[in-house]
Amino acid sequence: MGFSTTDRRVRQRAPWALKTIGTVVGLLFAFPAAYLIWRNVTTDGGETFTDVVDRTRGPLWRTIRLAILVGASTAVLGTLLAWLTTRTDLPGRRLWRVLLPLPLVYPTFVGAAAFIRTLNPGGLVADLVARIGIHDTPELRGLFGAWLVLTLFTYPYVYLPVAARLRGLPASLEENARLLGSSTWSTFRRIVLPQTASAISTGTLLVVLYAISDFGAVQLMRYDTLTRAVWTTRLNNQPLSFALAAILLVLAVAVVVAQRVMSRRLAEPGRAGSGRKLILPLGRWRPAALATTFVVVVLGLAVPAASLADWAISGIRREATGGRELFISADDLLRPAWNTAWISVVTALVAIVFVLPIAYLVGRYRSRLGSMANAVITATFAMPGLLIALSMFFWTLRNPWAAEHLRGSVVVLVFAYMVRFGAQAVGAATVAVAAVPPRLQDASRILGAGKIRRFATVDLPIMTPGLLAGAGLVLLSTMKELPISLLVAPFDFPTLSTKIFLSFEDAFVAEAGILALVLVGISAILTWLLVVRRADHLD
Amino acid sequence: MPAAHHLSPRSLQPLATLIGLALLAAACGSEARTITGRAAEIYSGKCARDADATVTVYSGRTEYLIAPILEAFACEMGIDVRVRWGNSTDLAVLINEEGAATEADVFLSRSPGPVGFLEGKGLLGTLDDEVLSLVEPQNQAASGAWVGFSGRKRVLVHNVDLVSDEELPTSVFELTHERYRDRVALPATNGSFEDWFTVFRDTHGNDVATQWLRDMVANDAVYYPNNRAIVEATGRGEIDMGLVNHYYNHQEQIAEGVAHRAENHDFGDEDIGSLLIITAATVLGTAQNVDASNQLIAYLLTEGAQRYFTERTFEYPLAAGVAPNPALPVLTALEIGSVDFDSLGGGFEDTERIIQESGILND
Repeated sequence: MGFSTTDRRVRQRAPWALKTIGTVVGLLFAFPAAYLIWRNVTTDGGETFTDVVDRTRGPLWRTIRLAILVGASTAVLGTLLAWLTTRTDLPGRRLWRVLLPLPLVYPTFVGAAAFIRTLNPGGLVADLVARIGIHDTPELRGLFGAWLVLTLFTYPYVYLPVAARLRGLPASLEENARLLGSSTWSTFRRIVLPQTASAISTGTLLVVLYAISDFGAVQLMRYDTLTRAVWTTRLNNQPLSFALAAILLVLAVAVVVAQRVMSRRLAEPGRAGSGRKLILPLGRWRPAALATTFVVVVLGLAVPAASLADWAISGIRREATGGRELFISADDLLRPAWNTAWISVVTALVAIVFVLPIAYLVGRYRSRLGSMANAVITATFAMPGLLIALSMFFWTLRNPWAAEHLRGSVVVLVFAYMVRFGAQAVGAATVAVAAVPPRLQDASRILGAGKIRRFATVDLPIMTPGLLAGAGLVLLSTMKELPISLLVAPFDFPTLSTKIFLSFEDAFVAEAGILALVLVGISAILTWLLVVRRADHLD
Repeated sequence: MPAAHHLSPRSLQPLATLIGLALLAAACGSEARTITGRAAEIYSGKCARDADATVTVYSGRTEYLIAPILEAFACEMGIDVRVRWGNSTDLAVLINEEGAATEADVFLSRSPGPVGFLEGKGLLGTLDDEVLSLVEPQNQAASGAWVGFSGRKRVLVHNVDLVSDEELPTSVFELTHERYRDRVALPATNGSFEDWFTVFRDTHGNDVATQWLRDMVANDAVYYPNNRAIVEATGRGEIDMGLVNHYYNHQEQIAEGVAHRAENHDFGDEDIGSLLIITAATVLGTAQNVDASNQLIAYLLTEGAQRYFTERTFEYPLAAGVAPNPALPVLTALEIGSVDFDSLGGGFEDTERIIQESGILND
């Protein structure tokens, strides 16, 4: 069996109840875009059309350049690492599988700063290599710096779905190719690549949208993209800021549409298979493969961690030797840690529940309505968090009941997080829905099982790993989210990311280092519990 | 099929431990009649009875700098304080979005720009005369809409290994000379830099200020996103020097110790480069609790709070006759207050445009 097309579904019409729910979900996710359009129409400013075009050209071009470069490098890197850790005899595969998803846990505003602190002139690594006589280390800034940091912090968006896909694929085709004398490389190119193409494309889409929306890295690397231009003008020239944000949204929609058109030509995600896994010998490429993996983990994980630890340790040592005491106590760590953990878990679960109807509309019924809702959810991922936060106020304050009961509540907070990160869940959920063989559905229907029972006993068990992978991504993103956490959260609801930001703003780097290490630690534990450990069960 | 099983009790254990610890921490923290820690440096007496009033503060000053003062205020006055922390500019944008429905009673801003923006939108109230009388007229808005409550001085932070004493300029105007080529960092999109540049334009005229910025760009001045990044990079020797607020170098020195190789340099008296940028406190026009809000701002100007600002957070006090921390550069005559901020009007918007057009942001 496997991904042959024998069980291609007969196209069914989606039930009206599902369509109704799908419409409502799509509209909810459209809140930020609708807000942005409304503001552009109603904000009158002195900016003429020519002004806006003038101010847009540079940032737009830089944004496109950065997004393409980061997209390309993460697609290659994520796919390569996924293949190495699932299909080859790379040494230490289990360890790499735990470590490789983790760079995703760094908020870019502190991750990029830690990166600079370690690698730039005068930093920890630069000092080390200066001792062995190397003085001209490249300075991380501009396009190069932003590209490097974003690549290292976002390749897991490609790595995770591709690795999951490879683990789910039967090895029979690769085995046959090998038996027919195909080399490792040509097996990869002709068999593995086509089968994983849709996972690579979905992951790369997330990376590209993330690169468009990122503020932390481009700000510290001093690369003036659209998101940064929106941010710089947000107070002194609001009409321009909203206009730039609208252009950003158009760009995001274009990216989503382009990905859809391109991925139509890709093979459909096949059914989950099982059976013996094929492990290819890397042969003389083994050292190179190991070195690549090692360098990625060192740069993406260890380099920022070293700087955070350096800040934290010197702060603790300072306090211990009678210097300035730290501004954080155990309680200052526990409360934000607890808030961060529970709100992220709740957001991840809520996000799955909300996107599941869309996933069914797209994955099972090929509904056009579903595709549109999916596009809205996905494009929203590129919107700057500040705008999503403002849109929450815009909508809640326009309804007296919502203003009274919802503003400043965790309900709005979870909703805002979900709107911002739903894109990460919807892709994984759609793949999960598509992985349920329709024959199983038919069989259980014939046996008289009701809809709910079929969902609970047939669909859900098969979809669980895929849904959890999507939930895991939402969880990690929520844990490090900043603008919404600052502006939308209830009063007195500190999270780790807000505490890190507030420490860092005024150069309390020891406190920021400690808090960031706690964030990375909790994220690592949750990633392991929810993503890695479960994925390994499939082996 | 193993993939389908549910979260095992084992996997929930860390979560349960976390809940337990959090509850324990909460139980220990309540029902205190006095306050402890840094807040006790400002008020050490018994807490007043609950006055059944709450002030909502949107604070662009970060928690470590001001939370102890707000805690002392809550204890001494029996007035509850709830705070939304954030970046001053983001909070001003949020208040503008909320409009009359804002929950904020008091807004504390890191620099006058965001407050000026809200005043321009007609969202601010007027402070009580008793509050206004606590600071010098040059450190408050002529309209009475806001007061300064602490200050940060503009300085030239420089790496002591890379810049010799003879090289240190006495004016920002010298920085356009050839010998400073590719050596000076500017935090060109930072709120306090924008405020400083707005005053620069007002003091020396638009043409002079704009020309200076163009000359800086022609002299390969380097853009950095904010003060902290410049001070950190200067301490490492990535860049030789930069125009920043004095305050960050004190924090970095404490954090990094001798490894931090940067010092502040004070430009000469009367140079625009040594301007004092003040933090600003204001009451919103829609404030629910105007009296308590005014009381809170007055509290920021008491001797205890002002002493805390200068001794603990290395800022310049603006009230109650408190002398600046001796570790700080001497405060010269030129202060931001000598400029009438209200007269600047749309000055901030033009500043943003001039900075953008100078090309400093584009590498």
